[in-house]
Amino acid sequence: MKLTTFASAIALAAGLALPAAAQQTVTWWDFFAGGDGVRMKALINQFNEEHPDIQIQGTTLEWGVPFYTKIRTSAAVGQGPDLMTYHLSRMPLALSEGVLTPITPEDLETAGLSEGDFFETALQAAKGPDGTLYAVPFDIHSIVLYYNKSYLEGTRFLDAEGNLTGIESVADFEEAMQAAAENGSETPVTYATGDDGGVYRVFYTLLSQQGGILISEDGEVLPGDSTEKAVKAIEIMTKWHNEGWQPEQALYEASVALFTSGKSAFQLNGVWEVPTMKDLHESGKLGFEWGAVEVPKLMDTQTTWADSHAWAIPIQGQTEMDPEKRDAVMQVIGWMEKNAIQWADAGHIPAYRPVAESDEFKQMQPNATYSSLADDATYDPRSEVAGVASPSYDAAQNIISPAIHGYMTPEEAVEQVKSELQSRMR
Amino acid sequence: MAMIRNRTRHGLVALSLVLPFVAIFALVFAYPLFEVVRMSFTDAPLIGGGEWVGLDNYKRLFADKLFYRSLQNNGYFVLLTVVPTTVIALTIALAVNRLSGRMQALALVLFFTPYVLPVSVVTQIWAWMLDFQFGVLQPVIEFVTGKPVPVFKNPFWVMPSVAVVTIWWTNGFNVLLFLAGLRNIPTELYEAAQLDGATRAQLFRRVTWPLLWPVTALVLTLQLILQLKIFDQIYLLSEGGPFNSSYVLLLMVYREAFQLNNGGYAAAISLVLFLLIVVISVLQFQILRIGGKRK
Repeated sequence: MKLTTFASAIALAAGLALPAAAQQTVTWWDFFAGGDGVRMKALINQFNEEHPDIQIQGTTLEWGVPFYTKIRTSAAVGQGPDLMTYHLSRMPLALSEGVLTPITPEDLETAGLSEGDFFETALQAAKGPDGTLYAVPFDIHSIVLYYNKSYLEGTRFLDAEGNLTGIESVADFEEAMQAAAENGSETPVTYATGDDGGVYRVFYTLLSQQGGILISEDGEVLPGDSTEKAVKAIEIMTKWHNEGWQPEQALYEASVALFTSGKSAFQLNGVWEVPTMKDLHESGKLGFEWGAVEVPKLMDTQTTWADSHAWAIPIQGQTEMDPEKRDAVMQVIGWMEKNAIQWADAGHIPAYRPVAESDEFKQMQPNATYSSLADDATYDPRSEVAGVASPSYDAAQNIISPAIHGYMTPEEAVEQVKSELQSRMR
Repeated sequence: MAMIRNRTRHGLVALSLVLPFVAIFALVFAYPLFEVVRMSFTDAPLIGGGEWVGLDNYKRLFADKLFYRSLQNNGYFVLLTVVPTTVIALTIALAVNRLSGRMQALALVLFFTPYVLPVSVVTQIWAWMLDFQFGVLQPVIEFVTGKPVPVFKNPFWVMPSVAVVTIWWTNGFNVLLFLAGLRNIPTELYEAAQLDGATRAQLFRRVTWPLLWPVTALVLTLQLILQLKIFDQIYLLSEGGPFNSSYVLLLMVYREAFQLNNGGYAAAISLVLFLLIVVISVLQFQILRIGGKRK
């Protein structure tokens, strides 16, 4: 009697559990806040609505060191997510940590994707040295030059249609800043001068535009004449500080606020602030006309720092992920890639070419204006001490930022960066 | 016979009383300590095993400029906090001790409240107050120095600023210890001394100070250990910058272990820090005890 009740209870439980087992829950971690985060959450909700059998459970963690620290520790003991966003600039560190599982050709097939669908630079950045794919690139993002038209009216820097023009060297850019200052702009160019990301991206762009190399393939920091080029880059940033053209010790939020509140004529910041600008403009709170262009050729070559967000599947401790769950995860990735046009709305350039080359994207503004940067972008060096939340970013905050504020000379700063990064390499 | 049985029982009872402590101690202290020592001789990542590399980690550590810089900063921070916080706590305790009843309770609450706050709240409060663009304390700094100072971004201001925040945060506990010590001094001693015509200064120097010495020694030692372990405030306020002028040993451990995945090297640094704290605090406590006895 008792046994039969027990057995029927099990049967009942199993019967109830059956549909639940068919439904896959994908645990998802990302680091998108602000305008990015809103668009990513909209994508997740849409996916969940369209797929009753796969449910994404998303969590947003803090960008940078906190995110990557948590990934490493949790994945190693099998408490990590099933799917996460990852910066391709961090790929060398990820490989040395061993937290990523390879994405096989079968995986890509499940997702309905193939390697040929992606921009070559992004695809290469997603591969290990042996050519194994460890992540699926999602976008290419970079810094762009935002401008506030009201400060440039009447100068030679606006063309007949009101678009930025005539900046072809540092001297031109400085002339434009001078003009903006005379028109009442408090800090003509704003970027996060007191934060790691802001300083690093501007420095790396100026260095790359001179053809300088931060870390060579054999692990030398600022090899050859790259040292002088790095000094030159810091000298330019220091000059902007001394002239009062850039804000002092601005943290990220403050640096954005300087532009959105109309105090700065220019902003050097990531494409991810495009939605902030769009939303403010649409709600009529902005109070000025704005535009965004690829960072002009200030030095010798046309290039900009760039990075990619990508999808990656972490290891699950000692165990393997259930194949059915892995298929579900790959379906999520495939769907996201094909709907990347909504992500482009957050300012990014899709890494998935069918979307990036679609008419819809070509008509999207201001993305279409700066999308050419995808072709001549310079990614972070392939090194374990480079990339988001790495010693390179720390050095930008710890050494370069104090230098541009006058606490040491550019030469001293470059020497310190060299010895700091060299000592972090093993 | 009964004697023997009693003795065995005695032993068993003793063992059963000691065993829980020994077991917990072994589990949460002795075993991890052994593991840290073992790990410091390997090239292990943060999680998982590694290869035995002998003394490599230590050789690397003693050749690492950042290690000496951090050591120096740790020393500087100890100088900035340990004696000042003790002096301030003693002064406050003496003042509070003169109050009575509700007033004393109120004063104690006021001084103790910061200690109750979590470190992240404390650092948020001070980061806002000292914010370069909007901080309420910037006009004060501007009045003294002539211009606002981004204190956590300035190599000269960063350590003293962190020290001020730390003293403000932890001082209440020391006040409490001193107050307990003051209450333990019998009032007859003061009465007798006053009858003999002792002045206030003499009362402090001849009665309060020597009898309070054990508490002072305790506060100094506790503070020394605590301040050598400085991490949270630095991590939350300055992240070791600018150009490593607030880099400390525990931050180095954190960066190596969690950011760079060098578990073995991080273990070596933390072991060196551990030994440093043990040696310095034992040494200091002994010196203070001898100093106390001589009086």
